[in-house]
Amino acid sequence: MMLALNEIRRGLGRFVSIIGALSLITFLVLTLSALADGLFFGATGAVRSTNASAYAFSSDAKGSLIRSTMTPEQVREVEDAPGVTKASGVGVLLTAGRGPSEEYDLAIFGVDPAGAGVPTNLSEGRLPADDSEAAVDESLGAGIGDTLTVGKESVEVVGITRDSSYQLQPTVWTTLQTWRSMRNDVRPEFTGVEDDVNAVAIEGSPQGEIPGVTVLSAQDTGLAIPGVEQQASTLNSIIYTTLAVAALVVALFFALIVLEKRELFAALKALGTPTRKLGAGVVLQAVIASAIGVVVGAIASRALGAVVPDTVPTLFRTETLISIAIFVLVAGVVGAAFSLRRIARIDPATAIGGTL
Amino acid sequence: MTNDDFVPAHAGGEDPTTDACSHAEAILRVQDVSKVYTSGDTEVHAVANATMAVDQGEFVALLGPSGSGKTTLISMIGGLLSPTGGTITLAGTDVASLSKKELTRFRAERVGFVFQSANLVPFLTARENLLYVSTLQKRIGRKEAHARADQLLEELGLAQRAKNVPEQLSGGERQRVAIGRALMNDPDLILVDEPTAALDTKLGRQVVELLAREIKQRGKTGIMVTHDLRMVQYTDRVFEILDGHLTHVEQPSALAH
Repeated sequence: MMLALNEIRRGLGRFVSIIGALSLITFLVLTLSALADGLFFGATGAVRSTNASAYAFSSDAKGSLIRSTMTPEQVREVEDAPGVTKASGVGVLLTAGRGPSEEYDLAIFGVDPAGAGVPTNLSEGRLPADDSEAAVDESLGAGIGDTLTVGKESVEVVGITRDSSYQLQPTVWTTLQTWRSMRNDVRPEFTGVEDDVNAVAIEGSPQGEIPGVTVLSAQDTGLAIPGVEQQASTLNSIIYTTLAVAALVVALFFALIVLEKRELFAALKALGTPTRKLGAGVVLQAVIASAIGVVVGAIASRALGAVVPDTVPTLFRTETLISIAIFVLVAGVVGAAFSLRRIARIDPATAIGGTL
Repeated sequence: MTNDDFVPAHAGGEDPTTDACSHAEAILRVQDVSKVYTSGDTEVHAVANATMAVDQGEFVALLGPSGSGKTTLISMIGGLLSPTGGTITLAGTDVASLSKKELTRFRAERVGFVFQSANLVPFLTARENLLYVSTLQKRIGRKEAHARADQLLEELGLAQRAKNVPEQLSGGERQRVAIGRALMNDPDLILVDEPTAALDTKLGRQVVELLAREIKQRGKTGIMVTHDLRMVQYTDRVFEILDGHLTHVEQPSALAH
């Protein structure tokens, strides 16, 4: 330990490159993760942050809220299914609306305020009590008392919700009746199927099968939102590839360091240093370099997060930071571990004879 | 260089076998030690049936041209290579019988090494280089080790250089730190590999003289590998190795060269 620590302390210059590389990699991975989290949370809030544990869709919709249509009979069937404690229709309408000062892209969610599928993250105010009221996601920027107009319908904002957006659009939580009126205004083609809803939000854990109906957990409902799973898997594969690169960079760095110190390591072994001790020193150095890299990368990533405009959906979560920190440390240790064999192979006998 | 430079402190030209027997108190006994390397179907006898005995307090020289087997022999004595035949006993320990792990411990506690180029740890100070080897053994406690390191540095004239890293030291100073490091763990045997290779004659003499004095004062046993005849005057006896054959000599034949 004495060797490993003093080498970093007195020869920090040699370690600047690896610490720099690990800082940049951590920065990249954390920023990508923030984007991945931001996209995921922004897309799925409306189905994740509610009291529903599952959603039922028409089977042909493949889990898409917008594509799904459920008749009143199907809603009742879901309600009556074993294991369901509460079931309420949910209607969704992606459209534009007017606020007091500007126009917005909105995701209108029609729900039963006393039923399932209502947002649980109220930061201010309350849920709508009648058809003239609505709660809106904080990302809309509206305040309590503001009026929003969609088509010919107007609602007053009575509550603000957090983390409840849908496909990165701010949600407006209204009653099913208000949602229906808005939809009929902006989508006249729905005339005739007015009693239908898009999906059924469920509390409880439904058992058994209902013909023509697919039940997905709230988590899977989020993943089924178009683009969410694809985005997540694309970004995650970039993140994991980058972490693998981190391990390789560390492996290369320590391979070089060990190569450069062959003569010294041979002498140290001749003096009676166990190989284990030399190996532990290299791993410790990798952990220290990775830890410094994580701290620097995290600070840089947070600094970037503070200056990116709100339109870029980034979300810095402590859980993500902790798991990325662990991944980078593990990558460092794995990388350094590649040098262990090299260290073990150094023959102490080469310290004598001096033809090195 | 003239013959006058070579003044063996202990004359003796006996047959090495009888010599070994006469050293009843020998701390180091090398008996019929061989090292054979096979490369393909040819066998190379790096060392053939070497026998020698060295008493406690003796400082002996091992002379020989490069490729003679002297490096192989002292590597075996120091527990760095295992002999293909014969026995090596240091203060009662049969070196060849030790496992790899035991050998590591053996080298740390029982043998002090002085390498050709000092081979100090570049990122440790002179004092830390001494202290480092003390962390490899369990016989000397931490506190005692610190006192011992300071005392050694003082004796070696390095007290003012204790906090310098090797890069800031001269070649002679580095080699003196290496001597301190070799003595640090109070070993039974000190093996010195061409200590003057990287030094000029004057510095080389000073270093070997210092080495001889330290070994004598402490009642240690030392073997110095060298091809420099001018250095044997500081030793008690001289062994010569040629083509793997070890002989105890009065007048090193290499002198004629």
